[in-house]
Amino acid sequence: MKRRLRPSAVMGLTAVALALVLLPQIVSNPFAVDICIRVLLFAFIGVAWNLLGGYAKQLSLGHSAYFGLGAYTSTILLIRYGVSPWIGIVAGGIVAMLASLPIGALCFRLRGPYFAIATIATAQVLMLLFLKFRDFAWGAEGTTIPNLGNSPWMMQFDAKAAYYYVALILLGIGLAITSWVERSWMGYYLVALGEDQDAAEAVGVNVPRIKRDIYLISAFLTGLAGTFYVQYIYFIDPNTAFNFNVSVEAALVSIVGGIGTLWGPVVGTLLLEPTSALVQSWLGGSRGGVQLTLYAVILMAVILWRPTGLLGILVGAYERMTGAAPGGAPTATAAARKGASFDG
Amino acid sequence: MLLSPMVAVIAQALVNGLLIGGIYALVSIGVTLIFGVVKIVNFAQGEFVMIGMYISYWLATRTGLDPVVSLVVSMPLLFLVGVLLQRFLLRRVLGLGDMPQIFLTFALSLLLINLGVLLFTADYRTVDTSYTNSAIHIGPVYVGVARLIAFVLAMLLSGALEVFLRTTDLGKAMRAAAQNRDVAMLMGVNPDHVFSMAVGLSLAMAGAAGSLIMPFYSVYPGVGQVFVLMAFVAVVLGTLGNVRGALLASLMMGMGESLGIQFVGADSGLIVVFVVLLLTLALRPSGLFGGQTR
Repeated sequence: MKRRLRPSAVMGLTAVALALVLLPQIVSNPFAVDICIRVLLFAFIGVAWNLLGGYAKQLSLGHSAYFGLGAYTSTILLIRYGVSPWIGIVAGGIVAMLASLPIGALCFRLRGPYFAIATIATAQVLMLLFLKFRDFAWGAEGTTIPNLGNSPWMMQFDAKAAYYYVALILLGIGLAITSWVERSWMGYYLVALGEDQDAAEAVGVNVPRIKRDIYLISAFLTGLAGTFYVQYIYFIDPNTAFNFNVSVEAALVSIVGGIGTLWGPVVGTLLLEPTSALVQSWLGGSRGGVQLTLYAVILMAVILWRPTGLLGILVGAYERMTGAAPGGAPTATAAARKGASFDG
Repeated sequence: MLLSPMVAVIAQALVNGLLIGGIYALVSIGVTLIFGVVKIVNFAQGEFVMIGMYISYWLATRTGLDPVVSLVVSMPLLFLVGVLLQRFLLRRVLGLGDMPQIFLTFALSLLLINLGVLLFTADYRTVDTSYTNSAIHIGPVYVGVARLIAFVLAMLLSGALEVFLRTTDLGKAMRAAAQNRDVAMLMGVNPDHVFSMAVGLSLAMAGAAGSLIMPFYSVYPGVGQVFVLMAFVAVVLGTLGNVRGALLASLMMGMGESLGIQFVGADSGLIVVFVVLLLTLALRPSGLFGGQTR
């Protein structure tokens, strides 16, 4: 399934890529760069969640389990054994991946809402374990990541722009994997399984295997995000690493943007993160609960009026503007079409 | 006393667990009723317990009304909220599949918790009643009066609901809709009415739970999470849609949690509950809800 891109689309994509690379050189305000990094990071977590939640329609609310395992693996390797987080990030991803095997084996026995509840439970159990066993990983107090100054080999940088590029590369990896999955045999099996699990099984899709495989990929990517995040904020404790909000936001950005689409999580994060950062800075951050109230209202509005996500609106507007002919659709359009056929 | 101290400790933990289990039962019965009739898992059920608690808290601090008596306010109010919830929100996602159903009630839960933080701050608030600290001694076991009142009333309310479901026309219509919605519709059951009543009753139970625990429990915006997680586990353990199953499982969860707190550690009640859930899923998935296709 080779797509031919029109010259205008190629130029558009090149321009966007160039703008993304040059962005931190133009924007010098640390607050703005911080927002950009968070956008990239949460878009990446959303992309990881979307593989399982969007394509296979296994609606996890426990992805903070893998975020936390990735974060703790690299931090323990760094502080106890002096291992570079560049190795730690891969190790964290692998630990998250391995953890997804037993967790998946248990939780996939349940469907729909009860799958979601079981995943909440696994993430909570992991958080409680890390809170309880102080000798193993600093318990509830957590620990700071030793600041080594500007040492790129230890994933520590003076310039915020460097973190931006790391997050950009992570997001690129996530999107590349999603795009590959979308086009491979796996993507078709996933969509079949998401539409109707029993029917997919009846026509010979190995449902348990495909669920396990996509969960492995999703957990691996989420683990990478965990390592990056603690390296960025220089601190780890169970409430940060296994924070329920990570699980929520992973699902939220995908649903708001467009669940089961390549660009959905990116669009969702672009809308939600800057909005919440701006609202919080206006209100001075003294009032708790503003960010999540806002998120909840947006999520409810999207579910009631636009359950396929906001990406479809953007694509529709773009098509009306350019009068794009069928056949030469850029990637996002194809993805949104897939999303438009999603009926629950 | 002939009883050894160990037996007394266990007995005390079991009694405490049983009493709080009665409250969990009110919440899980609500969850199971909505799921049984409307086929939606209400992630926001705990937040309606929270609202019930705040109603009783404000009535107690402003008018001096006893929290347990304020049940007569919180239950009808939450019944009304339930009818509106069904009419304006749940009805719009019926039959739309998992994603909108899960995330609509989930978003509602997030919204209510965080509105709570905005309006009332995250402070813990308590109500002191004349019986908050009194207890009855039965042998070596202390039974808190407030907890006992809550438990007895919770059991009476659960029993009343069960009688309602078995004897009244509306109750029978709810059970019929739970068993087979399409056939029930063919037999002349009006879905809008039955669904609204079921969600209303379910929220009234949550409101009752909130009022009943107010004399011995602190209210804060996130308090519902404790109850809803327990209720979900109980609902997975008990047979779904079955009021008695949810009731028994809730009492067991209460005692399991209490034993966990006693013997594993004060912060470990939830670990015990979650481990029970995960073990059940591992060992007996087919006999439970997971064996069915919704």
